[in-house]
Amino acid sequence: MAKDHGATRTLEDWQKTSRQYWEAWSDATRKAFGGTADATSPDQMPWHEGLEQWSRMFDAGKAQNAQSETVERLLAGARSYFALLQSMADQSSQGNADPQAWTESLRNAFNFPGADAALVDNPLARAMRELSGSGAKGFEQMMEGLQPALREVRAMLDLPAFGYAREHQEQHQRMAKAWLDYQQETNRYNTLIARASKRAFELFEDKLAERGEPGRQVDSVRGLYDLWVDAAEDGYAEVALSDEFREVYGALVNAQMRVRQAMQKEVEKISNDLGMPTRTEIDSIGKRVHELHRASRNRAEDDAALRAEIAALRAEVEQLTGTRPIAAQPQGASIRKRATKPATKSSKE
Amino acid sequence: MDPIRIDPKRALDEALRAQQKLAASLRTLRQVEDVDYGATDKEEIYREDKVVVYRYKGKGKPTAKAPILICYALVNRPYMVDLQDDRSLVKNLLALGEDVYIIDWGYPDGGDRWLTLDDYINGYIRRSVDAVAKHAGVKKINLLGICQGGAFSLCFTALHQEKLQNLITMVTPVDFHTRDNMLSHWTRGMDVDLFVDTLGNVPADLMNWCYLTLKPVRLNQQKYVAMLDILDDKVELENFLRMEKWIFDSPDQAGEAFREFIKDFYQGNKLVTGGLKIGGKDVSLKNITLPVLNIFAEQDHLVPPSAARPLGDHVGTKDYTQLAFKGGHIGIYVSGRAQREVPPAIHEWLAKRTR
Repeated sequence: MAKDHGATRTLEDWQKTSRQYWEAWSDATRKAFGGTADATSPDQMPWHEGLEQWSRMFDAGKAQNAQSETVERLLAGARSYFALLQSMADQSSQGNADPQAWTESLRNAFNFPGADAALVDNPLARAMRELSGSGAKGFEQMMEGLQPALREVRAMLDLPAFGYAREHQEQHQRMAKAWLDYQQETNRYNTLIARASKRAFELFEDKLAERGEPGRQVDSVRGLYDLWVDAAEDGYAEVALSDEFREVYGALVNAQMRVRQAMQKEVEKISNDLGMPTRTEIDSIGKRVHELHRASRNRAEDDAALRAEIAALRAEVEQLTGTRPIAAQPQGASIRKRATKPATKSSKE
Repeated sequence: MDPIRIDPKRALDEALRAQQKLAASLRTLRQVEDVDYGATDKEEIYREDKVVVYRYKGKGKPTAKAPILICYALVNRPYMVDLQDDRSLVKNLLALGEDVYIIDWGYPDGGDRWLTLDDYINGYIRRSVDAVAKHAGVKKINLLGICQGGAFSLCFTALHQEKLQNLITMVTPVDFHTRDNMLSHWTRGMDVDLFVDTLGNVPADLMNWCYLTLKPVRLNQQKYVAMLDILDDKVELENFLRMEKWIFDSPDQAGEAFREFIKDFYQGNKLVTGGLKIGGKDVSLKNITLPVLNIFAEQDHLVPPSAARPLGDHVGTKDYTQLAFKGGHIGIYVSGRAQREVPPAIHEWLAKRTR
């Protein structure tokens, strides 16, 4: 009963602090910008919502373009941090002392709802999401399960093409195969990123265990966050420097290039049909222009070197024949003089 | 004892502080101008295609006997060496009496797709060195190569040593196959022919993505969480934005040169193992017999010290000096420590050797 009473009081305290948080946020934004933060259900409001509101106000004020990209990156990075702040504050309000519970709480904090869906198509963001999300746990098993279906599609693509549109059909088959290969390599890559994520949390627990000594305890959310980042980078580096990662990374890049090449071929075909210049033709012209440019520059340099050598030889001849050095005379005069004199052997000959 | 002791009130305070910073930023982000870079005036002394060579104008006349030509990497813009008034390698070198020139590679486009390493090293760099020597009225100059530009400078020196007095390399990879070189590790499974044949020039965005994934959480998230702390400080915010601008202001890479660089340096490690040819000419580091100063950063995640340190084992010179800087790949130019330590070290080393 006393325990229940204590828990109720903790919850009430927590709701009170959350409310204070939102009031302070509303006050701060009002003072800074004259805007107002949404005041609905502060107890339920995720803390990163403050960041979203800030983002909306920032957009409304039309940020300078040069800075808006940085603001986007700030938003992406800080969202996780605010989710972590809330999760950690929540955890500490429950008086939980178990490192594993902290780790799980941290894991959940990075898996917060409302993450920007547009980031899903960004490879790094996807990697980041899987680095930190507990949803990646069964990823390897899931991919294993999909293999039979992928094999079936691949077998269909191996069927022989025939008839009038045979070449076109083969090109489409090659493109579809390249796409499937790319999907497969992406999955292998993501599997390794998931492994890095798992390793990061193991290392995080190790790092936490080291902080059990007096004077080394983590006493701030930022401190905890920084510790997690160290663990995440260590875990990632372990995987990224492995021979397996090197092979998978290379295969992924190569697979993506094969997809791009297949698409380029398709575009070339369409361009040809429409009588438009193709990438291959432009490359070919570009290469020829470059070779001409290089040859002409080399020739110009050779000419300059020859001119310098001729001038030096002329000067030497003038000295040997007792006339003034060529540098001191106008060029025309020297040529006229040379033309009227009989040829003399130079020491260079 | 529990490893974590976070008072809920303290967590709330942290959240409030962060939100207050956000609120303040609504004002400061509007006060900051579109950040500019470059602290030092400069004049153009040579131009060829998209390449421009500039001479920096110091407040006084240079006292050094030979000028320094900075050869930067192709993968980022060279203004990192003169980012802002209080973070400028160039400004500090000028203040010490050096005469400083720099090669600006420009932004390659489709017309530069077929540029090779021969074009860059035996062409652009050689003619830039000649132009600087002519402009300064000297026969030989000092070359300072940075990162990939350092690798180019090593090749250039091995081939055209007669044009130089001294060589300085900064954060320059030499042995590309050390165990901790993540970038090199990743490139070794790549079919670079397929890559360049497909892409032509290599897009800057792709390069940036690759660099960010070297330290994905630190570079893509933690850095921006730390940005929260300075959102109410206009000066710090401008410094941050200036650095951001530099990081993402990346030129595309000329396809053929990229193909050769990945094959011969990252995959073949030919600077160390031998067999490197540029424009049909053998490049051997043993041919480098002039004085060499090799500066690298101890916390460099792009060019690990293990990749830069072996230079001394491979050059032919008997006058080799190396300097390990406590910092990272960027900090070696912009940190406070760098301003205090790096320019004087270069100046003193050169003063003893330049005739």
